[in-house]
Amino acid sequence: MTLQTYLLLGLILFSLGLYCVLSRRNLIGVLIGVELMMNAASLNFMAFNRYSVNDPATGQVVVLIIIGLAAAEVAIFLSIILNLYRNRRAIDVEELRELRG
Amino acid sequence: MLASVNTLSIVFGTIFAPLAAFLIAILFLMRSPRLAQAIVLAGAALSVTGSIALLLRGPVEPLRFLWFASGDIQLRFGFLLDGTSLMFGVAVTVITLCVMVYSLGYMSHDPAKSRYFALLGFFAWSMLSFVYAVDLLQAFIFWELIGLSSFFLIGFWYEKPSAANAARKAFLMTRIGDVGLFIGILLILQYFGDFDIPGLLNADSGLVSAVAPATLTAILLLIFVGIVGKSAQFPLHTWLPDAMEGPTPVSALLHSATMVAAGVFLMARLHPLFMADETARTVVICVAAFTALLAATMAMVDRDIKKVLAYSSISQLGFMLMALAAGSLFAGVFHLITHAFFKALLFLCSGLYIHHLATNDLEEIGRRGGRRMRFTTVGLVIGGGALAGIPPLSGFFSKEEIFAQLGHDGFTLFTGAAFAAAFLTAYYTFRMVFLVVRPAGGDCGDLNDAQPATDGGHGGRAEPWSMVTPVVFLTFAAAFAGFYGTDIAAGLGLSPAHHTLASALPAVGVVLFGVAIAWLDFGRSNARRRGFIAAVPALQTLFVNQWFVDAFYRAVVVRSTGALATLMHWTEAKVLDSGFDRLALTILEWGKRATRVQSGWVQFYGGCAVLLFGTLALCLYLDVGIGGG
Repeated sequence: MTLQTYLLLGLILFSLGLYCVLSRRNLIGVLIGVELMMNAASLNFMAFNRYSVNDPATGQVVVLIIIGLAAAEVAIFLSIILNLYRNRRAIDVEELRELRG
Repeated sequence: MLASVNTLSIVFGTIFAPLAAFLIAILFLMRSPRLAQAIVLAGAALSVTGSIALLLRGPVEPLRFLWFASGDIQLRFGFLLDGTSLMFGVAVTVITLCVMVYSLGYMSHDPAKSRYFALLGFFAWSMLSFVYAVDLLQAFIFWELIGLSSFFLIGFWYEKPSAANAARKAFLMTRIGDVGLFIGILLILQYFGDFDIPGLLNADSGLVSAVAPATLTAILLLIFVGIVGKSAQFPLHTWLPDAMEGPTPVSALLHSATMVAAGVFLMARLHPLFMADETARTVVICVAAFTALLAATMAMVDRDIKKVLAYSSISQLGFMLMALAAGSLFAGVFHLITHAFFKALLFLCSGLYIHHLATNDLEEIGRRGGRRMRFTTVGLVIGGGALAGIPPLSGFFSKEEIFAQLGHDGFTLFTGAAFAAAFLTAYYTFRMVFLVVRPAGGDCGDLNDAQPATDGGHGGRAEPWSMVTPVVFLTFAAAFAGFYGTDIAAGLGLSPAHHTLASALPAVGVVLFGVAIAWLDFGRSNARRRGFIAAVPALQTLFVNQWFVDAFYRAVVVRSTGALATLMHWTEAKVLDSGFDRLALTILEWGKRATRVQSGWVQFYGGCAVLLFGTLALCLYLDVGIGGG
C-alpha cells in the first residue's frame, strides 16, 4: 500500500461525489454527494498524514474538524430542504429556478 | 462729530424702516393683513420723517463704509446726501406714503394684501437705498432690486396671464438696459478703478481727466443704455404701457413717479460727466426728444386712461432727459420732482375711477358719470393742468425751466421738438380730461367696444377717505410745488434761469393752443369726439398701434428668439436626448442578453465552477511542471 493507492481511492471517491452533486435532481442526493466529497478530502488528509508528516496528530485534527463541519452542514442543509419542501412542495433543483435572470 | 453720528442714525432709520417692515410683514404677517398694513405704513411714515429731517439738516459730507478691498480696488457702501438725493428722497418717501394710504382703500378687497404691502416696503427700501447711494456699484445693486420689486408688483396678480406676461416683459426689457449699464460700470472699474461717485465727478482727478475721450464716450453711452431701459425711452419703451397690468397704485408709484425716474436720477447724479462729452450729450438729447414726441403721439389716441398716462410718463421722462442733456441739472431735477407729484396724482385719480366705475376706458368713465366723483375730478383737472403746463400749476414752472435752457443754449431743433411735445401734451391731457368731464350726453349705445378694466370694480363708496386723502394732498402738491423752484435750485447750489413774462409767453401760447384744440375736438357740446389726427387715417393707425414698435419686436426679436429656442429644443430632444436614449437602450439590450447566463440552475453554476477551478488547477500544475522541469 503506497500513498498513490490512497490518493487514487480519494480521487475516485471525490469524482463520484462531484458527479453526484452535478447530476442528481434530488436535493438530498446532492447532499449525499457533498458528504462523499468531504470524506474523500478526509481520506487524503489521513493518507498524507500517514506517509509524509511525523506528528500523527496534525491530519487527525483536520479530519475531526471536517467531520464536525459536515455534521453542522448537514443540519443546515436538511433544514433548508425541509423549508423549501414546505413552501414549494418540491425538492427538485430543476424546479427551483426562481433566481433566473 | 455728534452731528454726523446723528445724521448717520437718521439715514439708517430712513432707509431700513421700510426694509424692517417688509421683513416682518413677509415673514410673520402673511395671515394678518391688518397688522402688516399697519407695520408697513409705520415704516413708511418713519422714512418720510427721516427723509424730511435729513433735508432740513441740509447736505453733509459723504458717509462711507468699506465693504471690502481687493488690491487697489475698494468697494464701499455709503450715503451721498447732497441736494439732489435729499430732495428726491423726500419726493420718494412722501409719494410712497401717499400710495400706501391710498392702497388701504384700493386693495381693501384683495386677499393678498400682506404680500402687496410688504412688497411696497421692499420697493421703498431699494429706491431709497439707490437714491442715497454713494458708490456706483452700490447704486447698481439697488437699481437691480428696484427692477426686481417692480417685477413683483407688476405681476402682483400673477394668476392673470396678461399681468404675468407684462411683469416678464418689463423685467427682461429693463434687463437689456442693465446689461449695458453693468458693462459701463465694469469699464469704469477697468479704466478708473473706483466707483465712488464724488470721486468720479471730481473736476481735477475724476473720470473725465483719467480716461481717453473715446473711452468716456463709450462708458457714458453704455450707462445711457441702462437709463433708456429703466426710464422707458425709445427703443426700450414698450414695457411701460404693459406694466399698467399691475394695480393702479403701483403704476402711480413705480411707473410714473419713482422707479422709472431712477434712470433720470442716475443721469442727474452723473450730470457733470455727461456735460463733458459732446457725443453722449447729443445722443441723449436726440433719443429723449424723439421719445418725448413718439410717446405723446401714442397718448393722443389711446382710450385706456392708464395707457394714456403711461405714454405721458414716457414723454415727460424724455423731457427731463432733454433738460439734463441740454445742460440744466436744475431743470431736470425740478421737472422730475413736479412730475412725480402730478403724475402720481393723475394715476391715483384714474385708480379711483377704475375702482368705482370698473372700466379703464376714457369714454366709458365719462359715460358712467365719472365727473360726479368730485375730489377725483378736481384732482384730474389740477393734475392734468400741471402736466399740460398751465400757469400757475407746478408743471408750468418746471417746463418753463426746460424751455429756457433749450432756448438759452440754442438747441433750435430740440426747442422745436420740445414745443411740439408740449403742444401734444396739452392736447392729449385735455382730451383725457374732456372725455371724462364732458361725456357725449345720453349716448350709451356702444358699450361693447369699451375696453375691459384691468382691475377694480368693487362698488362700495365712490371715494373712500383712505383714497381721497392722498389725492387731496397730492392735488395741493401738484398745484403749488412749482413755487418752490428757487428753493430746489438753492438746494442744488444753482440759480434758476431768469424768467420774464415775455419769455414764458410762447410756451403758454403753445399749451393754450393745445388745450383749445382739445376743446374743439372733445370738449364743446357739439364736438365730434374724434381727434384731429383721425383726419389722416394712416397716422391714426400708426399711433393707435404704437408706431408698430411692439409689433416689430414681436415679429422680429421675439419670433427669431422663439425660432432659435425651437431649434435648440429640437436639437436637445432629437439629437442629444434620443442619442443618449439609444445608447442606454443598447446597453440595456445587451445586459438582457447577458442575463440569460443566469439560468437559476444551481448545478449548472456548480459545473461551471468545477470547470473553472479545474482549468485553473491544470494551468497551475502545468506551469509548475514546466517551471520545475
